[in-house]
Parts: sequence; C-alpha cells; structure tokens
Amino acid sequence: MAEVFGLYKQRASFIHGLHPLTKLAVSGFFLLAGLSLPGMWSTYLLVIFGLLPLAFLSRLLLELVSRTGRIVLPFMISVFLIQGILWSGGTPLIEVGPISFKQEGVQFAIASSGRILIVVGSFLWFALTTRPDQLMLALAERGLPSSLSYLIVSSIQIVPRFQARANTILDAQRSRGLEIAGSIFQRARAVLPLVAPLILSSLIDVEERALAIEVRGFNYPGPKTSYREIAQAAWEPMLQRFLLLAMAGTLILSIVLRLVS
Amino acid sequence: MIVEKAPAKLLPIEIEVDSISFTYPSGIQALEDITIHVSSGERVALIGQNGAGKTTLVKHLNGLLKPVSGSVKVGSWDTHDHSVAQMATRVGYVFQNPDDQLFQRTVWDEMMFGPRNLRWSAERAASSVQASLEMVGLEHIKEMHPYDLTFSSRKLLALASVLAMDTQVVIIDEPTTGQDYRGVQQIGSILSELNKQGKTIIGVTHDIDFCAEQFERSILMAGGRVVLDGSTRQVLSQISVIDQAYVEAPQLMRLAEKLGWDFMPLTVEEFIHHLDG
Repeated sequence: MAEVFGLYKQRASFIHGLHPLTKLAVSGFFLLAGLSLPGMWSTYLLVIFGLLPLAFLSRLLLELVSRTGRIVLPFMISVFLIQGILWSGGTPLIEVGPISFKQEGVQFAIASSGRILIVVGSFLWFALTTRPDQLMLALAERGLPSSLSYLIVSSIQIVPRFQARANTILDAQRSRGLEIAGSIFQRARAVLPLVAPLILSSLIDVEERALAIEVRGFNYPGPKTSYREIAQAAWEPMLQRFLLLAMAGTLILSIVLRLVS
Repeated sequence: MIVEKAPAKLLPIEIEVDSISFTYPSGIQALEDITIHVSSGERVALIGQNGAGKTTLVKHLNGLLKPVSGSVKVGSWDTHDHSVAQMATRVGYVFQNPDDQLFQRTVWDEMMFGPRNLRWSAERAASSVQASLEMVGLEHIKEMHPYDLTFSSRKLLALASVLAMDTQVVIIDEPTTGQDYRGVQQIGSILSELNKQGKTIIGVTHDIDFCAEQFERSILMAGGRVVLDGSTRQVLSQISVIDQAYVEAPQLMRLAEKLGWDFMPLTVEEFIHHLDG
C-alpha cells in the first residue's frame, strides 16, 4: 500500500473524507501563515492550536508527531547549537567555560525552528491524510494541466517507492554476504552497492511509467472525462475560498505588522 | 601411497522451521504456525497463489525476516542469533527479480561480489566463479555489463552469482519467470546438477509443470499456512484440494484424470510410458 499511495495512512476520520483541495488549502494556509507572520512564537501557536488538533481529528496525532520529529529534531538541535554559540556579539545567556549561549542566537533558533516545524508538519499532515491519486484527480478537475498534476503526484510518491526499492536491493546484497551492521566504515561500504541499481531501476521505472501513461492517451489534447468523481460537502468550496482570503489577509497583516514595528 | 582427492566439503545441513508465525508491520499476518523440516539434499518446491506466504517463508530461511514467534534453525544456527551475512555462508538466496540483485559493471565482478564478502582467497573465488558461470553457460560474456544482457540471461547470472558462494542450501524464487522452453529446461538441469552435488534446493514457483518435473517434494501453501506437504506426486494428485488453494494441477495430471487413470504422471516420459504400457 505504501508504494501506491505515498505517505497516505488510511483512518476512519472525517478529515480523510474531505476534498483534497480543502486539505490543500488548510495546509497552504498554515504554510503561508507560518512563514509570513512575524514573532518568535507565532508558528508554535499555529502548531499547537491548528495543526495538532487537526492531526488528532485525523487520528494521526502520534504518527504526525513522530514523523515530523524525526525530520525536524536533528535540524532544531543543530540550529540551537550553531546559532546559540556562534552568534557574534549579543547577550550571553549561559556560560560554560569559553562557550556561551547568546540570547539573540537562541531567539533566532526558536523562530527558524518554528518555521521548519510548521512547513514540515503541515506538508506531512496533508500527505498523511490525502491520497495522491485523489489529489491528482481534484487538480485535474480544476483544469490543472495533467502533466503538472502528474509531476506533483509522482514527487509525493517517489520517496516511499525509493525506500521500498532500497530495502529490497539491500536485502539482496545482504543475502550475498554483505555485512551491514558494525562500524561506520562498514555501513558506508554497504550503501555503495545500493546506489547503482537504485538509480538504474528508478530510471527504468520512470521510462516505463511514461510509456504506460502515454499509451493511455496522456498527451491527448482534447477534453477528458473522468471515471471517478470526488465527493465534496456543500460547505467545502466556501471553506476553500475563505482560506484563500485568509491567506491573502495574513499576508497583508504580516506586511503591515512589519512596517509598523 | 595413494593420495585421495578431498571430497567436496559440504557439511549436511538440516533446516528446522518450528511453529513460526510472522506479521508484517502493516498488520498483515503472512505466516501462521508453520512447521517444516527439510533434510540435507532435498529438493522442495513451495507452491501456492500470490500472497500465500511462500516468499515470506523462504525469507525466514536466511534470516532476512525473523519470526515473530517460533524459531528457524539452519544446521545448529538459529536465525535469531546470526546476521543475514553470516547466514549467507549456509543459505544462498536467488531473488525473483535479478535487477534487485545485479549492480556491478561486469559479469565477472558481479560474480565475485559474494565470494569476496565471504573473504575467500582470490584463487578459490575465481575457480568457484568460473565453475558457476560454466554451469549456467555464461562463461563467454565475463566482460559484459549485466544490464546489457537479456532478462533471461540476467536471471541466469543472478542464479550463478549465488551458486558461486557454494552454499549447502540454495533458495530460488520463481526461477522460470520470463524463460522460454529451453531456458526452463536449462534451469531444470542446473537444479538436477546441484542436487547431485548434495545441495538442498528450495524453490518458490508458480510454474506447476516445472514443479512436477523438477521437485521430489512439494509444500502447498494458502493464507499463510501449510495445506499439503509430501511427495510431489502425492500433493499434486489431490486435485480438488489444490484447486481450493487456487493452484491448477499440472496439465499431464489433469489429462490423466480426464482419461480416468488412477496413475498420476509427473513427466511426459511417465505419461507416454503409461500410455504404451
């Protein structure tokens, strides 16, 4: 399943039943608000009062937290260390021997970590709750060129496909006596044999998929019909429009706030 | 004084699969309470429809998968206590898709990968590689790039690259996919040759006619369980049972049944012999 639907996780939640564009608008709003609103803590407020409740309603709270954490934590730690220690000038917060943590550096780290958190978190929430094929269909219905929607969907799907392939290839090499546990050197050596078959087979994959969709009329210029339709509640288009307005509003608000301060 | 030539040193290895169950992380239970004993030198086919658990089961035999409960022993080694790389000295595993396995620039380097991992001396590795290439009939293309070979040759190369490691047990997953009649015959004779050397062969196959001709014992799986386990003739002649597992009996047996015979032939020769007799 993972191979077919990217990061998507099936759950019995009403969020999963929402129209893909509604969810796209929600995560787009988080993204825009998180990146544009000034202030050190604004992104954290968005996460706590927006993203986490949504993840809870999607029955994916733990999943989202652990996946986001795995991506964001290493970044956060390094940003705190690097910015805290290397900030030139600034007010020392804690001093340990010759090393001192600067207040300004920590503030910068808090702000940029928050941005990464909201970007990664909202993208993952969207990917976890939305089937890529449904998204593709929804985008095509709105007149998005099919080559573009294909591009979007295939890039969502590529990571899990890549992972699955990499695991299979690694299994094949281990079965021929390749030791992957042990020293870092041994591990690095173990990864090398993976690279060639992984890239080669991915290229073959891409070509075959291109052929497969082309013979089914992918580039046919005329209007196309769709076998499936995506249900959407009457209030959803309204919410989508509202979110678009909210995005514009947030943008204006953040510009004004910056001009004033 | 007569110096006896050292016999090929294959220590007999028994495989003990003791009531194992396995569940994938996605929650799908793939194996349920499976117990199998395979003696050294046997030729066993695993048959069953897609999703019956055949590949999952053989992945337990070299430790790629570890049972959730129960144990798998290859000789004295429990797969829980040994890495896949260690198991590779006893169990060779030929993957279904050669493209998951082949990655070197030349056929020769590809073949040397396994023996090098086992830290063999250069001479031992080279002679084993040469012998395995000859066995599958690819010795004339040592310098070619594996990806320039046809699919069926790549499949033979994947097989040879595992044979070069000279393991007592050889697992081969869907060996006949993409092979024409001659290719199937060739793989059959390679398996016979290996068996003559005393090796244990465990094959996963959809090709029921190939199973009938090449394997003395068959294990029919369905829904993660063993349904039938016995001599190939015994197993395959229970046509109604194997029908229920969505496997079609070999064509010769179906023909024999239609003819009202009691005798269930496995090979064309047997069929003709019975017809004449």
